[in-house]
Amino acid sequence: MAANQEKPPRRANHAARQPAKTPPAGGGGGVPPSRAGPAQERRARGLGHPGPGGFGPPGRLAFTPEHREELQRLWGEMVLIRRFEERVAEMYTRARIGGYTHLNIGEEATVVGALTTLRPDDYIFSNYRDHGHALVRGIAPRAIMAELFGKETGVVHGRGGSMHIFDRERRFMGGYAIVGGPLALACGAGTAIRYRDEDLVVMCIFGEGSTNIGYFHESLNLAKLWRLPIVFLCVNNQYAMGAPVQADSSVPEIWRKPCAHDMPGERVDGMDLLAVCEAVTRAVRLAREQHEPSLVEALTYRYRGHSMADPARYRPQEEVNVWLARDPIVTFRQQLEQAGLMRPEEADAIERNAQALVDEAAQFAEASPAPEPTDLDRWVYA
Amino acid sequence: MGSMTEPAAVKTRRTPRPLDVDLGGAELRAICETMVLSRALDERMWLLNRQGRAHFTISCQGHEAAQVGTAAALRRGEDITLPYYRDLGVVLWMGMTPREVMLSFFARADDPNSGGRQMPNHWGHAGLRIISGSSPVGTQIPHAAGVALAAKIRHEPTVTAVYFGEGTTSEGDFHEGLNFAAIHRLPVIFVCENNGYAISVPRHKQMATATVAERAAAYGMPGIAVDGTDVLAVYRVMRRAVDRARSGQGPTLIDTRVHRFTPHSSDDDDRVYRPPEEVESARQQDPVEKFRRTLVQHDLLTTAQDHELRERVAAIVEDAVVFAEQSPLPAAADLTRHVFAESGRR
Repeated sequence: MAANQEKPPRRANHAARQPAKTPPAGGGGGVPPSRAGPAQERRARGLGHPGPGGFGPPGRLAFTPEHREELQRLWGEMVLIRRFEERVAEMYTRARIGGYTHLNIGEEATVVGALTTLRPDDYIFSNYRDHGHALVRGIAPRAIMAELFGKETGVVHGRGGSMHIFDRERRFMGGYAIVGGPLALACGAGTAIRYRDEDLVVMCIFGEGSTNIGYFHESLNLAKLWRLPIVFLCVNNQYAMGAPVQADSSVPEIWRKPCAHDMPGERVDGMDLLAVCEAVTRAVRLAREQHEPSLVEALTYRYRGHSMADPARYRPQEEVNVWLARDPIVTFRQQLEQAGLMRPEEADAIERNAQALVDEAAQFAEASPAPEPTDLDRWVYA
Repeated sequence: MGSMTEPAAVKTRRTPRPLDVDLGGAELRAICETMVLSRALDERMWLLNRQGRAHFTISCQGHEAAQVGTAAALRRGEDITLPYYRDLGVVLWMGMTPREVMLSFFARADDPNSGGRQMPNHWGHAGLRIISGSSPVGTQIPHAAGVALAAKIRHEPTVTAVYFGEGTTSEGDFHEGLNFAAIHRLPVIFVCENNGYAISVPRHKQMATATVAERAAAYGMPGIAVDGTDVLAVYRVMRRAVDRARSGQGPTLIDTRVHRFTPHSSDDDDRVYRPPEEVESARQQDPVEKFRRTLVQHDLLTTAQDHELRERVAAIVEDAVVFAEQSPLPAAADLTRHVFAESGRR
């Protein structure tokens, strides 16, 4: 930490970064530059302000009074994702949303726990299950909903839809429809960071099915070889569409796969927000401070089918029930209440707030204009 | 000093360690002959290329022990091979004749590999169950998994061996092929001829692990590194892998460490990326000479036999070159043949 502060800032945006008020021993990443956009939006959403530089060293975040606000905020993020996705499902069945739609329902603890460790200037490459990732990144719910509706007010003017949410300003480098597609692109971003000698991190999010794609192998090889600051986050929801992980992966423990590239890998309980947060924080630090890529496998479950077009009849109900009993939103709330960190009325207020945001988003999307046919070829080329 | 132990030491040197392989003298001599023949044919191809009589060649020199040692553990005519461009030793052992090799080299009409359509060293021979490959590296690996899957579905005892260099192991095709083979426990052996250079890129600049063998762990299959200049060591490792595959225990990755004595191909100049001393010191480990010495040491190859072998090989090479060069080129009217399968032909 001290060494960091003594270094002259390399770039303008680094100069904007303030030293941490109370730097924790061992360092926990710097303080992000003051980027008003996402922060203002978070305040507007009533979800508090993101903690500077992620959550400090491992283990800092715990069910203790000093983290009360932060923990409530994180629970609120999970609730917002759940409510948002439920509304998306409804709007899809009402034919307000076309194409394909993949929901984050069930994976909220992984999504929130992982993304919350990043600085606003870090890069995120997501996959087609990207609504929750975009929400946690601070993209307005209304802009995402409008995008799903294919409206001009959508985050990419209705051209991308569910699988292609993109926000350059927030360094949300896209959802991608191609399985494994973002893996190689993340290496490109990592190369750029090394080339410019920045202290940024790339988070690359993909499912366990992607790890059988050649891209996975090629990307991990390059990332390790060139020491790219990438956190490979494998969201292992245990089904590649209808294929269970043991049917399509010779090594079902995804965290073991990076051994082919001499890269560290680790598995974490993806239904436990704090556990995800802790593991990813370490991975982020490894990337930022030592340019060491690593893989974190979050073992989780999607409560719905692969997409809205999948009734998920290939899973035994008993298995689904086991995971439903571990619903991260319910368990995290219980943990908070038991620790005396959230009163029922506080929880209700957060719920109401999330509901209101989603209602507003849906109304906004509904009322927004469709793209003009004359604009057909806009946004196609830079 | 140490004179008391001296005689014993000399004695152990005189009585070499037993060879520890299930091969008789005739088979060992056949392996040696194939290695010598591979080298001689290869050297001749370079000469012909430098004389301007042939367009292109890519070499097996330095790889002979890895190639013939692995192929010798396979069943000729039953097991399937998917060689890569360096595998002259493999295809000769599996039954391709030197004349056929030279027909391919000169792109003649009677070339069984492709009727003179493919580049030289793109091996393929339906009768010998050698499956033709593409020029992009690594495409044969998923093919091999598919071929092995077919054998498994049909309950055939066939084993598939697929060959590639260490550069290919950084390709996505490698990852997908090994993953699939391991999931379905397919009877396939992945043989890497690891010569330390992907064309001009040294190993440490294109892969993050020190060996190819350790990559096998990511697929839950055994990965075995072996000295690829020692043909019997290679044979023993391959033998175990073949037995494993044939008895339904699944695939194996074999990492044979070899030296490439030549530039990548006849269109490459390796002096710009590696010092000549490196090649010189590698030649001290010449696999062909090493095996010849071993056989002589074990009285399995007499001086007369050695002499006869060399003369025979020289004559075979001469015959193959003359035969192939005099063979007709493909007829222009046949241009579109061998592009699609023809009915009634296999």
